[in-house]
Amino acid sequence: MSDFASPGEYGLADLLCCAAAHEVQDNEIVFAGTGLPMVAIMLAQQTHAPNLKLIFEAGTLDGRPPEIPTSVGDARCEMGASRASGLYDAFSIAQRGYVDLGFLGGAEVDQYGNVNTTCIGDYLDPELRLTGSGGNPDINSFASRTVFIMVHEKRRFVEKVSYITSPGWRVKKWPGGEFVHRRELYGAAYRGGPSAIISTLGVFRFDEEDGHMYLDTCHPGSTPAQIQEQCQFDLDVSRVKGETAVPTREELRLIHDVLDPDEIFIPKAKK
Amino acid sequence: MSKSKRITVQQAAEIIKDGSSLTFSGFTIWRRPFAVVFELIRQQRRNLHLIEVNGGPQTEFLVGAGCVDIWESCWVGHELYGKYGANLSRKVAEKQILVEDYSHAEMMFRFAAAAAGAPYAATQTSLGTDIHNPAYDTLGQAGRRDGKRIAKHKYLFTEDPFFDGGQLVQVPAVKVDVALLCVQQVGEEGTVRVSGQYYSDPEAARAADITIAVAEEIVPEEYLRRHADQNTIPSFEVDYIVECPFGAHPTGMFGRYDVDGAFLKNFYNGTRTQEGFDAFAQEWIHGLDHTGYLEKLGWPRMLKLRANTAMNYSPREKKGGN
Repeated sequence: MSDFASPGEYGLADLLCCAAAHEVQDNEIVFAGTGLPMVAIMLAQQTHAPNLKLIFEAGTLDGRPPEIPTSVGDARCEMGASRASGLYDAFSIAQRGYVDLGFLGGAEVDQYGNVNTTCIGDYLDPELRLTGSGGNPDINSFASRTVFIMVHEKRRFVEKVSYITSPGWRVKKWPGGEFVHRRELYGAAYRGGPSAIISTLGVFRFDEEDGHMYLDTCHPGSTPAQIQEQCQFDLDVSRVKGETAVPTREELRLIHDVLDPDEIFIPKAKK
Repeated sequence: MSKSKRITVQQAAEIIKDGSSLTFSGFTIWRRPFAVVFELIRQQRRNLHLIEVNGGPQTEFLVGAGCVDIWESCWVGHELYGKYGANLSRKVAEKQILVEDYSHAEMMFRFAAAAAGAPYAATQTSLGTDIHNPAYDTLGQAGRRDGKRIAKHKYLFTEDPFFDGGQLVQVPAVKVDVALLCVQQVGEEGTVRVSGQYYSDPEAARAADITIAVAEEIVPEEYLRRHADQNTIPSFEVDYIVECPFGAHPTGMFGRYDVDGAFLKNFYNGTRTQEGFDAFAQEWIHGLDHTGYLEKLGWPRMLKLRANTAMNYSPREKKGGN
């Protein structure tokens, strides 16, 4: 029996981290970005997925850092690694089809899982220029599954993102820009697409055929109606399974005592 | 013996002319050649064309100082010490800079193509995104595609002609005048040994017409050649070498020193406005040389950042830059 934590013993970041860790399966090759995804993957490694292989975009292959690196370029990434290399290797491995799962973030997402990390407003005259793509489109192009971790706000779950930085299930076919299923565009490189979004309100998945997002579980304290209210598009809530699993006490111990004791990425719940 | 490749930080900056295209070693907040970047700002270099696999604080400093005309890359920020590139964002909004967006893998493959002497790379990454939106070809719309230093097209589409694998995007090789590297060790003849992840340094060095290696230490070439399997870049790809301890500060260097998170946080928080940037530059760049900069930083701070040689990072520097 799992020893689930009681409300008050865990915070929202703990819930997101554990939900993300549960997306990982043992023996998978996982591409990890900086921050909460890194903690989630290392949590999975310490619990149900001891044989997962970790790849950092900056060039560390199969690393086993005993403490959380501050970014994928960090010296801590290399501890226990199979190989310290570079970006050409990391992206070639992804394009070659080795990557089972990638974890990503985004500023905006649409109902097809297209994600924007480039700008808010008109691209040619933006209200705000963001970081840019980074490896987001590359991981999302090549991994069999990708999981996004996002803050949930109505302005972020939009009908149409300002700029498609990273491809979802229905993507633009250039030069015309009409939306087609990604299978049609990716050909031999097609392996899958966004598999889940873990937002601050719930967990969302995608129908691989029609490409639409649907609500899978609500985090404790949220209802499907409240979550629909925070989306600009019609959200399919017909398949809701119930509540997102809350962290176990053992997961909380690992997060706060072992993985992120300095609370760099995951603050402790306020007592 | 060929003539010495040794030059100073000032001379390294003088090699990079107004209008040059320039790239850097490192990854986001790691191993960026800051001593020379600061010197470029002191020398008031203008109209630089930065072509980067990814950007970082060095981009933000040069952009903030008005040195950059075109920025071609995929990402800029300071990792957990500053969530986006505030200076680039400001200059984009004010239309003072041209930005050409590619994806990270596309930029990497463009460098790899240049390093192999090939005109372009073919890939299936980023299909279906606005990176390939023809209306967003910034350099084309600005009339800058001369087919010499800037490719005639941002990208082209093709169908896999060999195995019918579907659509491909062809992205042009980069044309880089100067690659500025910051590494742990370089030999007197130019052999570079990078410790830790080497990011995209080998491709950057080979792609550029001129490669300058700024190193924590210049070591006897013979020492490096005893274990050639540990070396990263061959001697003849490096044109100039500079010895410059702590040359990557405020970014980090594997095995030598950590990222100075507090410094980057300060920079990010203080330079959202041009006035803020100018004040920061006045305090930390102008009127100093590299030694003066390190003196201002102070040895207690440098010792705190210094890496433990067994762990390759500093166990004293609290993660998060507080």
